[in-house]
Amino acid sequence: MKLFIVRKVLEANAKIADEIRRKMICSDTLLINIMSSPGSGKTALLETLIPRLQKRGVRVGVIEGDITSTRDAERLQPLNIPISQINTEPFGGDCHLGTEVILPALEPFDLEKTDIIFIENVGNLVCPAEFDTGAALNVVLISVTEGEDKPLKYPLMFRVCQHALISKIDLLSVLDFDVEFLKTNILKINPKIKISEISSKTGKGIDEFIDKLIRFSGKDDIAKSKC
Amino acid sequence: MHELTIAENIIKMVELEVGKRKPDQKIRRIVFQAGRMNAIIPESLTFSFDTIKKYHANLAEAELVIQILPITVRCQSCGSESTIDEPEFSCQHCSGTEIEMLSGSEMFVESIEIDEE
Repeated sequence: MKLFIVRKVLEANAKIADEIRRKMICSDTLLINIMSSPGSGKTALLETLIPRLQKRGVRVGVIEGDITSTRDAERLQPLNIPISQINTEPFGGDCHLGTEVILPALEPFDLEKTDIIFIENVGNLVCPAEFDTGAALNVVLISVTEGEDKPLKYPLMFRVCQHALISKIDLLSVLDFDVEFLKTNILKINPKIKISEISSKTGKGIDEFIDKLIRFSGKDDIAKSKC
Repeated sequence: MHELTIAENIIKMVELEVGKRKPDQKIRRIVFQAGRMNAIIPESLTFSFDTIKKYHANLAEAELVIQILPITVRCQSCGSESTIDEPEFSCQHCSGTEIEMLSGSEMFVESIEIDEE
Protein backbone atom coordinates (compact mmCIF):
# COMPACT_ATOMS: atom_id res chain seq x y z
CA MET A 1 0.00 0.00 0.00
CA LYS A 2 1.38 3.36 -1.02
CA LEU A 3 0.63 6.49 0.99
CA PHE A 4 1.21 9.75 -0.91
CA ILE A 5 2.02 12.42 1.63
CA VAL A 6 4.25 15.07 -0.06
CA ARG A 7 5.43 16.85 3.06
CA LYS A 8 8.44 19.11 3.38
CA VAL A 9 11.22 17.30 5.20
CA LEU A 10 12.41 20.37 7.10
CA GLU A 11 8.94 21.64 7.99
CA ALA A 12 9.56 21.12 11.72
CA ASN A 13 12.57 23.46 11.48
CA ALA A 14 10.64 25.94 9.33
CA LYS A 15 7.79 26.07 11.83
CA ILE A 16 10.09 27.08 14.69
CA ALA A 17 11.84 29.55 12.35
CA ASP A 18 8.49 31.27 11.78
CA GLU A 19 7.92 31.34 15.55
CA ILE A 20 11.34 32.98 16.02
CA ARG A 21 10.57 35.55 13.29
CA ARG A 22 7.30 36.46 15.01
CA LYS A 23 9.08 36.81 18.35
CA MET A 24 11.69 39.12 16.81
CA ILE A 25 9.11 41.29 15.05
CA CYS A 26 7.09 41.65 18.26
CA SER A 27 10.13 42.74 20.27
CA ASP A 28 11.53 44.84 17.40
CA THR A 29 14.81 42.94 17.43
CA LEU A 30 16.85 42.36 14.27
CA LEU A 31 18.16 38.79 14.10
CA ILE A 32 21.15 38.44 11.78
CA ASN A 33 22.57 35.04 10.81
CA ILE A 34 26.27 35.15 9.91
CA MET A 35 27.63 32.26 7.91
CA SER A 36 30.92 31.39 6.20
CA SER A 37 33.62 28.76 5.82
CA PRO A 38 35.74 28.18 8.92
CA GLY A 39 38.29 30.98 9.17
CA SER A 40 36.64 33.61 6.97
CA GLY A 41 36.45 36.01 9.92
CA LYS A 42 33.01 35.74 11.52
CA THR A 43 34.29 36.28 15.05
CA ALA A 44 36.75 38.98 13.92
CA LEU A 45 33.89 40.81 12.21
CA LEU A 46 31.85 40.77 15.43
CA GLU A 47 34.87 41.99 17.43
CA THR A 48 35.15 45.05 15.19
CA LEU A 49 31.49 45.58 14.39
CA ILE A 50 29.96 45.37 17.88
CA PRO A 51 31.94 48.20 19.57
CA ARG A 52 31.01 50.49 16.67
CA LEU A 53 27.35 49.54 17.02
CA GLN A 54 27.59 50.15 20.79
CA LYS A 55 28.99 53.64 20.09
CA ARG A 56 25.85 54.35 18.12
CA GLY A 57 23.76 53.21 21.08
CA VAL A 58 22.73 49.89 19.57
CA ARG A 59 22.18 47.12 22.12
CA VAL A 60 23.67 43.90 20.82
CA GLY A 61 23.56 40.21 21.75
CA VAL A 62 25.28 37.21 20.23
CA ILE A 63 24.31 33.58 19.84
CA GLU A 64 27.60 31.77 19.57
CA GLY A 65 27.50 28.58 17.55
CA ASP A 66 31.12 27.61 17.97
CA ILE A 67 30.10 24.06 18.66
CA THR A 68 33.52 22.63 19.42
CA SER A 69 34.68 25.08 22.06
CA THR A 70 33.82 28.28 23.90
CA ARG A 71 36.79 30.12 22.35
CA ASP A 72 34.72 32.42 20.17
CA ALA A 73 32.50 33.37 23.10
CA GLU A 74 35.64 34.07 25.17
CA ARG A 75 36.97 36.37 22.43
CA LEU A 76 33.74 38.36 22.63
CA GLN A 77 33.71 38.56 26.46
CA PRO A 78 35.51 41.96 26.61
CA LEU A 79 32.60 43.54 24.71
CA ASN A 80 30.48 43.05 27.79
CA ILE A 81 27.38 41.95 25.90
CA PRO A 82 25.00 39.06 26.53
CA ILE A 83 26.28 35.94 24.78
CA SER A 84 24.27 32.76 24.46
CA GLN A 85 26.56 29.83 23.86
CA ILE A 86 25.07 26.92 21.94
CA ASN A 87 26.08 23.78 23.74
CA THR A 88 29.52 22.46 22.92
CA GLU A 89 31.00 19.08 22.28
CA PRO A 90 34.80 18.83 22.68
CA PHE A 91 35.36 16.66 19.62
CA GLY A 92 33.08 18.42 17.21
CA GLY A 93 29.34 18.48 16.95
CA ASP A 94 26.67 19.28 14.45
CA CYS A 95 27.37 20.93 11.12
CA HIS A 96 24.76 23.69 11.40
CA LEU A 97 22.45 25.40 13.88
CA GLY A 98 18.85 24.25 13.67
CA THR A 99 15.99 26.22 15.16
CA GLU A 100 15.64 23.58 17.87
CA VAL A 101 18.87 24.98 19.37
CA ILE A 102 18.36 28.64 18.39
CA LEU A 103 14.97 29.05 20.06
CA PRO A 104 16.27 28.02 23.52
CA ALA A 105 19.44 30.09 22.90
CA LEU A 106 17.23 33.19 22.64
CA GLU A 107 15.87 32.63 26.15
CA PRO A 108 18.64 34.43 28.11
CA PHE A 109 18.14 37.71 26.19
CA ASP A 110 15.88 40.50 27.31
CA LEU A 111 14.51 41.00 23.80
CA GLU A 112 12.75 44.23 24.70
CA LYS A 113 16.15 45.69 25.51
CA THR A 114 18.06 44.19 22.58
CA ASP A 115 18.20 45.81 19.14
CA ILE A 116 20.32 43.30 17.22
CA ILE A 117 21.19 39.66 17.87
CA PHE A 118 23.88 38.11 15.75
CA ILE A 119 23.93 34.35 15.25
CA GLU A 120 27.49 33.21 14.60
CA ASN A 121 26.69 30.03 12.73
CA VAL A 122 28.93 26.98 12.41
CA GLY A 123 31.77 27.47 9.92
CA ASN A 124 30.42 25.60 6.92
CA LEU A 125 29.06 26.72 3.55
CA VAL A 126 26.78 23.74 2.92
CA CYS A 127 24.62 22.77 5.88
CA PRO A 128 23.80 26.15 7.47
CA ALA A 129 22.37 27.30 4.12
CA GLU A 130 19.79 24.55 4.31
CA PHE A 131 18.40 25.38 7.74
CA ASP A 132 16.31 28.51 8.19
CA THR A 133 17.24 30.07 11.55
CA GLY A 134 14.39 32.55 11.69
CA ALA A 135 16.83 35.43 11.05
CA ALA A 136 15.58 38.47 9.14
CA LEU A 137 18.93 38.83 7.44
CA ASN A 138 21.36 36.18 6.23
CA VAL A 139 24.93 37.34 5.71
CA VAL A 140 27.73 35.29 4.17
CA LEU A 141 31.40 36.15 4.59
CA ILE A 142 33.94 35.13 2.01
CA SER A 143 37.57 36.10 2.55
CA VAL A 144 40.07 36.99 -0.14
CA THR A 145 42.21 34.03 0.89
CA GLU A 146 39.51 31.72 -0.48
CA GLY A 147 38.82 31.02 -4.16
CA GLU A 148 36.98 33.43 -6.44
CA ASP A 149 34.88 30.49 -7.67
CA LYS A 150 33.56 29.57 -4.22
CA PRO A 151 30.05 30.95 -4.86
CA LEU A 152 29.73 28.57 -7.82
CA LYS A 153 30.65 25.63 -5.58
CA TYR A 154 28.19 26.55 -2.84
CA PRO A 155 25.29 28.10 -4.73
CA LEU A 156 22.59 27.56 -2.12
CA MET A 157 24.51 29.61 0.45
CA PHE A 158 24.76 32.58 -1.89
CA ARG A 159 21.08 32.22 -2.89
CA VAL A 160 19.78 32.32 0.69
CA CYS A 161 21.84 35.36 1.74
CA GLN A 162 20.80 38.97 1.23
CA HIS A 163 24.27 40.28 1.91
CA ALA A 164 27.78 39.05 1.05
CA LEU A 165 30.82 40.47 2.82
CA ILE A 166 34.18 40.11 1.13
CA SER A 167 36.51 40.00 4.14
CA LYS A 168 40.25 40.45 4.83
CA ILE A 169 40.66 43.00 2.02
CA ASP A 170 43.71 44.36 3.88
CA LEU A 171 45.53 41.30 2.46
CA LEU A 172 44.79 42.13 -1.18
CA SER A 173 48.16 43.76 -1.79
CA VAL A 174 49.99 40.47 -1.16
CA LEU A 175 47.53 38.18 -2.96
CA ASP A 176 46.66 37.49 -6.57
CA PHE A 177 42.99 37.73 -5.84
CA ASP A 178 40.49 39.11 -8.33
CA VAL A 179 37.75 40.81 -6.30
CA GLU A 180 35.76 41.75 -9.41
CA PHE A 181 35.74 38.12 -10.58
CA LEU A 182 34.47 37.04 -7.15
CA LYS A 183 31.71 39.66 -7.35
CA THR A 184 30.73 38.47 -10.83
CA ASN A 185 30.46 34.92 -9.52
CA ILE A 186 28.40 35.98 -6.50
CA LEU A 187 26.01 37.90 -8.75
CA LYS A 188 25.69 34.94 -11.14
CA ILE A 189 24.17 32.99 -8.26
CA ASN A 190 22.18 35.84 -6.75
CA PRO A 191 21.75 39.01 -8.82
CA LYS A 192 19.90 40.72 -5.94
CA ILE A 193 22.52 40.20 -3.22
CA LYS A 194 24.26 43.25 -1.74
CA ILE A 195 28.05 43.04 -1.63
CA SER A 196 30.43 44.94 0.66
CA GLU A 197 34.21 44.78 0.99
CA ILE A 198 35.49 44.83 4.55
CA SER A 199 38.57 44.47 6.71
CA SER A 200 37.92 43.68 10.34
CA LYS A 201 41.59 44.41 11.00
CA THR A 202 41.70 47.97 9.62
CA GLY A 203 37.98 48.67 10.00
CA LYS A 204 37.61 49.48 6.32
CA GLY A 205 34.04 49.10 5.09
CA ILE A 206 32.63 48.33 8.55
CA ASP A 207 30.81 51.65 9.05
CA GLU A 208 29.34 51.39 5.56
CA PHE A 209 28.06 47.93 6.45
CA ILE A 210 26.50 49.33 9.64
CA ASP A 211 24.77 52.01 7.57
CA LYS A 212 23.33 49.25 5.37
CA LEU A 213 22.12 47.35 8.45
CA ILE A 214 20.44 50.48 9.73
CA ARG A 215 18.76 51.05 6.36
CA PHE A 216 17.68 47.39 6.34
CA SER A 217 16.09 47.73 9.76
CA GLY A 218 13.87 50.37 8.15
CA LYS A 219 14.71 53.01 10.75
CA ASP A 220 17.04 56.00 10.88
CA ASP A 221 18.48 54.59 14.03
CA ILE A 222 18.35 50.94 15.12
CA ALA A 223 18.58 51.95 18.77
CA LYS A 224 15.18 52.86 20.08
CA SER A 225 13.33 53.17 23.33
CA LYS A 226 11.12 50.23 24.08
CA CYS A 227 8.09 50.06 26.36
CA MET B 1 26.94 16.30 6.49
CA HIS B 2 23.43 17.76 6.64
CA GLU B 3 22.33 14.34 5.35
CA LEU B 4 22.24 12.94 8.91
CA THR B 5 19.81 15.62 10.12
CA ILE B 6 17.77 15.17 6.95
CA ALA B 7 17.60 11.39 7.49
CA GLU B 8 16.40 12.02 11.08
CA ASN B 9 13.73 14.41 9.82
CA ILE B 10 12.57 11.91 7.18
CA ILE B 11 12.22 9.18 9.79
CA LYS B 12 10.36 11.45 12.24
CA MET B 13 7.93 12.53 9.55
CA VAL B 14 7.34 9.00 8.25
CA GLU B 15 6.67 7.64 11.75
CA LEU B 16 4.22 10.46 12.37
CA GLU B 17 2.36 9.97 9.08
CA VAL B 18 2.19 6.19 9.32
CA GLY B 19 1.32 6.39 13.02
CA LYS B 20 -1.73 8.51 12.15
CA ARG B 21 -3.09 5.95 9.69
CA LYS B 22 -1.67 2.49 10.23
CA PRO B 23 0.37 2.28 13.42
CA ASP B 24 2.66 -0.72 13.84
CA GLN B 25 2.85 -1.26 10.08
CA LYS B 26 6.22 -2.23 8.67
CA ILE B 27 7.47 0.41 6.26
CA ARG B 28 8.87 -0.97 3.01
CA ARG B 29 9.88 2.03 0.99
CA ILE B 30 10.09 5.80 1.33
CA VAL B 31 10.36 8.01 -1.75
CA PHE B 32 12.30 11.17 -0.95
CA GLN B 33 12.70 14.05 -3.39
CA ALA B 34 15.25 16.84 -3.17
CA GLY B 35 16.15 19.63 -5.53
CA ARG B 36 19.65 19.93 -6.96
CA MET B 37 20.13 23.11 -4.94
CA ASN B 38 19.90 21.10 -1.74
CA ALA B 39 23.26 19.52 -2.53
CA ILE B 40 22.32 16.13 -1.17
CA ILE B 41 24.89 13.39 -1.60
CA PRO B 42 22.65 10.32 -2.12
CA GLU B 43 25.32 7.93 -0.81
CA SER B 44 25.65 9.94 2.43
CA LEU B 45 21.91 10.14 2.90
CA THR B 46 21.51 6.40 2.30
CA PHE B 47 24.32 5.69 4.75
CA SER B 48 22.77 7.98 7.41
CA PHE B 49 19.30 6.54 6.87
CA ASP B 50 20.52 2.93 7.05
CA THR B 51 22.50 3.71 10.20
CA ILE B 52 19.59 5.14 12.17
CA LYS B 53 16.70 3.08 10.80
CA LYS B 54 17.88 0.12 12.91
CA TYR B 55 16.68 1.95 16.00
CA HIS B 56 13.14 2.17 14.66
CA ALA B 57 11.31 -1.17 14.62
CA ASN B 58 8.89 -0.27 11.81
CA LEU B 59 11.66 1.01 9.60
CA ALA B 60 14.35 -1.63 10.09
CA GLU B 61 13.85 -3.05 6.59
CA ALA B 62 12.80 0.13 4.86
CA GLU B 63 14.45 1.27 1.66
CA LEU B 64 14.99 4.96 0.97
CA VAL B 65 14.53 5.92 -2.68
CA ILE B 66 16.20 9.24 -3.43
CA GLN B 67 15.08 11.30 -6.42
CA ILE B 68 16.99 14.46 -7.29
CA LEU B 69 14.85 17.04 -9.08
CA PRO B 70 16.16 19.65 -11.53
CA ILE B 71 16.30 23.37 -10.86
CA THR B 72 13.61 25.13 -12.89
CA VAL B 73 13.25 28.89 -13.18
CA ARG B 74 10.97 31.47 -14.78
CA CYS B 75 12.43 34.62 -16.29
CA GLN B 76 10.78 37.83 -15.10
CA SER B 77 11.74 39.65 -18.31
CA CYS B 78 10.70 37.24 -21.09
CA GLY B 79 8.49 34.89 -19.08
CA SER B 80 10.08 31.71 -20.38
CA GLU B 81 10.75 28.74 -18.15
CA SER B 82 13.99 26.81 -18.24
CA THR B 83 16.07 24.25 -16.40
CA ILE B 84 19.40 25.27 -14.91
CA ASP B 85 22.29 22.84 -15.12
CA GLU B 86 25.13 25.11 -14.04
CA PRO B 87 25.14 27.29 -10.94
CA GLU B 88 24.53 30.40 -13.00
CA PHE B 89 21.17 32.00 -12.44
CA SER B 90 20.31 33.59 -15.73
CA CYS B 91 17.61 32.93 -18.32
CA GLN B 92 18.57 30.38 -21.00
CA HIS B 93 16.56 32.37 -23.58
CA CYS B 94 17.23 36.07 -23.03
CA SER B 95 20.10 35.92 -20.47
CA GLY B 96 17.97 37.97 -18.05
CA THR B 97 19.07 37.70 -14.42
CA GLU B 98 15.72 38.54 -12.77
CA ILE B 99 14.62 34.95 -12.41
CA GLU B 100 12.26 33.24 -10.05
CA MET B 101 13.02 29.72 -8.88
CA LEU B 102 10.09 27.40 -9.49
CA SER B 103 11.59 24.21 -8.09
CA GLY B 104 14.86 22.63 -7.14
CA SER B 105 15.45 23.85 -3.60
CA GLU B 106 12.96 21.94 -1.51
CA MET B 107 12.95 18.51 0.05
CA PHE B 108 9.87 16.34 0.30
CA VAL B 109 8.80 12.91 1.40
CA GLU B 110 6.70 12.04 -1.63
CA SER B 111 5.29 8.68 -0.60
CA ILE B 112 5.58 5.82 1.83
CA GLU B 113 4.94 2.15 1.04
CA ILE B 114 3.78 -0.03 3.90
CA ASP B 115 3.00 -3.75 4.16
CA GLU B 116 -0.52 -4.72 3.14
CA GLU B 117 -2.65 -6.01 5.98
